[in-house]
Amino acid sequence: MSIVLDGLTKRFAGQPVVDQLSLELTEGELFVLLGSSGSGKSTVLRLIAGLLSPDEGRILLHERDVTALAPQKRGVGFVFQNYSIFRHMTAAKNIEFGLRIRGVSAAERAERREELLDIVGLGGLGGRFPHQLSGGQLQRVALARALAYRPAVLLLDEPFGALDARIRSQLRRSLRDIQKRLAVTTILVTHDQDEAFEVGDRIGVLDRGRLLEQGRAAELYDRPRSLFVATFLGAGTVFVGRAENDVAGFGAFSLPIPADVPHENGARVQMLCRPEQVVLAAEKSDLGGPVIGRGTVLEENFVGPVRRLRLRVPRIPRLRQVAPPPVFGEEGLIVDAAVASDQPIPSGEVWVGLRGWKILERPAPRILAAEGAEASATARTAAADLASALGGSTRVLGVAQDADEVEALGAALRARATDPARRTSVKVRTGRFAHEVLAEQAEAVYDAIVLEGARAGEGRASARSRTALLRIVEGSSTPMIVVKDAWAIPKTMLVCTAVGEPGKTVIRFAGWLARNIGASVTLFHARLADDEPEFVRAHLERGLAALRALDVPCRLANERADSPAEGILRQASREESGLIAIGSHGPSSRSFFGRDDVTFQVLAASDRPVLVIPESAW
Amino acid sequence: MSDNRRAAVPAGILVLVLLPLVLLPLGAVFVFAFRGGFPAFWNVVRSADAQFALRFSILIASATAVVNGVLGTFAAYVLAKYRFFGKRPLGVVVNLPVAIPTVVVGTSLLLLWGPIGWLGKVLDPLGFHPMFAPVGILLAHVFVTLPYMVGAVRPVLDELETTYEEAAYTIGASRWQTFRFVILPALRGGLLSGILLTFAHSLGEFGATVMVSGNLRLRTQTAPLYIFAQFEAGKIAEANAVAAVLAALSFVIFFFLLTYGVGGGAGRAGRR
Repeated sequence: MSIVLDGLTKRFAGQPVVDQLSLELTEGELFVLLGSSGSGKSTVLRLIAGLLSPDEGRILLHERDVTALAPQKRGVGFVFQNYSIFRHMTAAKNIEFGLRIRGVSAAERAERREELLDIVGLGGLGGRFPHQLSGGQLQRVALARALAYRPAVLLLDEPFGALDARIRSQLRRSLRDIQKRLAVTTILVTHDQDEAFEVGDRIGVLDRGRLLEQGRAAELYDRPRSLFVATFLGAGTVFVGRAENDVAGFGAFSLPIPADVPHENGARVQMLCRPEQVVLAAEKSDLGGPVIGRGTVLEENFVGPVRRLRLRVPRIPRLRQVAPPPVFGEEGLIVDAAVASDQPIPSGEVWVGLRGWKILERPAPRILAAEGAEASATARTAAADLASALGGSTRVLGVAQDADEVEALGAALRARATDPARRTSVKVRTGRFAHEVLAEQAEAVYDAIVLEGARAGEGRASARSRTALLRIVEGSSTPMIVVKDAWAIPKTMLVCTAVGEPGKTVIRFAGWLARNIGASVTLFHARLADDEPEFVRAHLERGLAALRALDVPCRLANERADSPAEGILRQASREESGLIAIGSHGPSSRSFFGRDDVTFQVLAASDRPVLVIPESAW
Repeated sequence: MSDNRRAAVPAGILVLVLLPLVLLPLGAVFVFAFRGGFPAFWNVVRSADAQFALRFSILIASATAVVNGVLGTFAAYVLAKYRFFGKRPLGVVVNLPVAIPTVVVGTSLLLLWGPIGWLGKVLDPLGFHPMFAPVGILLAHVFVTLPYMVGAVRPVLDELETTYEEAAYTIGASRWQTFRFVILPALRGGLLSGILLTFAHSLGEFGATVMVSGNLRLRTQTAPLYIFAQFEAGKIAEANAVAAVLAALSFVIFFFLLTYGVGGGAGRAGRR
């Protein structure tokens, strides 16, 4: 192994920029680290070069542990984004610099310099000063300078970033040739997917300091495991459906779940289809494969060999879109398609179907902690607790009143983030609290939102935040945990179920949560009459069976009560429940929140944490 | 073309304003210096007092330039490349001498280093008397001209991105080698301007010098002090002769500054 990175971690001001990164490169390999700006990719290079020292982890270059060595002692060739060619030296002097430092004789230096100038294709230009060279030539000088002393590894930080498109592709090819010829192990950092595909033997995708996936370009494109990689590398449409007996249901169509991407029964399933896997036809019968629906063309782009189309298809119940990002407040699904330029597109409405797809791996849970203006740390603490119990991550969302506050609020939130597991990120949106929380949960995928609720009986100050909370509960399609008072990971959960579909969703999600945090469940049904119809009993039995199948310790409590809310509250205080789980009808209807609504009553009356699970969740 | 014609009016006004302010007085110095003819001028310049004053001034100016070349570059490097608590106040302190009247500088130096000053009291028994001695003048000049050196070097350092140093490190250069082969050559222009500016200011320094030197003939009398002393004594011709020499020296320095200084130096070296 030429380069071995082992659990590399670097934090700036407590925030991990590189997070537990491990990577192994074989001799002579060209590895591309691909990530957006701020993903920590340049930091990784600087850690390897010794320009920064890691907080944790080790760096091995050719079996030599260099973690504690100064940059001078590492034998690393580094090409900076700005090339950093010494301006007062000629190209030749620049290239010879490393040899001069090492006390190599002038004759030897000259020989090596000529050889390198030849390799990078700058023969005869050694006598020029940097200002007499073009950007592309400077980049070649930088490369030659980094190669002069035969470094153990070569590190390239966005080497083509500052060049125009035509020179770029030419230089990519020549870099690849040189690298293969000299067989020097190389890491190249870029944000450009095309560049990664073009030069990399292997590609690693970096997001917020974590190496998500690595592999050959075709592997990552055809078979990405995570949503981030699927959408970062190439275009595509991602839908969320639900797993049921090894089949992923997406409302209108179902797809088999392959054995190597196991999904729990009832869990969210993400499906990716690339634009070229979308088929269009005038007649439904011509499609063959799964059918998404009948749509209209929104945009059309001609890009030479293919035509890129963006289509709108009517919404499908129990199917949610993740990519392309849905527009908040707009219905309908967006599907990206690419068809060969010579293929005619049926005019007007077209049937949209699939000819290929990929079921993505179940992502690690993500919890959103939404903080109102006067919030305490309750929501964030609860979210971090849950995330660490679930092995997932937290995002703290702050909502600023206007754009001027964004920076200050972000800084304040980051300063307060004292999460020992270091799995917290911060995001700030601008606007009204409820609206922005709803927009955030619609745009990104979260498993749960944690909100701070006003305590029962508190004064008018909290009336506004109560209204905001209700609006979120009404509009969200993500389960919410409303924490009012003390918070601890619940040991017991009171799962309140009604009969029918919402009941099933509540049991599924609550059961999943209970299993992962190790809580026991009391399945509760408030009986309004003395005797109970058969179908209610059957529903509760099925609920218990589902919980047992998840390995959750559970029992049934079936009580006579004057009203469901009263029964729930009484049972919760009798059992000292750590969490009350209850369903709601989700974003579809807006006016159902009357005084009679059980969810509303429980939220208003109880100081225990309440988990509200919308019908449409999962 | 029409732009040139319109520029003639404001340019003419500028020349008219500058004429009595700068050009005529400068001319007058030379006219009066040579009024008695070249031999008379030469006699004055060759006199022991004038010779001492001129040589002493050049010596002090050279020493100041050398001391500040090192100290000022160091100060600029620290201020440009490191981040530490109190960096801003320190930056202000370094530039403070520009804002303080030089006479005040001289007075405060006297109060500190003089025979009855805080430090002076300690040093006096040891036989070290910096005031009314060349060392004192050097001290005053270093103090007064430090901002010019820092001001000339720091912008160049600020512009020099850290990646240049980092590139040198990864190539294998030690900190010293990096400074010697990468940073210093890049600073050439700034360094030269700084040194020339320091030299020029030191050559003409009057306020602090007059306080600190004691104005002792043939011992601590710099050229400006000589001119002032001769003028006071009514020897206008003597004063003017040395003034003409000082002015000529300044012209030469100014010429070098324009040719090789900041904006010409580092960039020009490459452009050649």
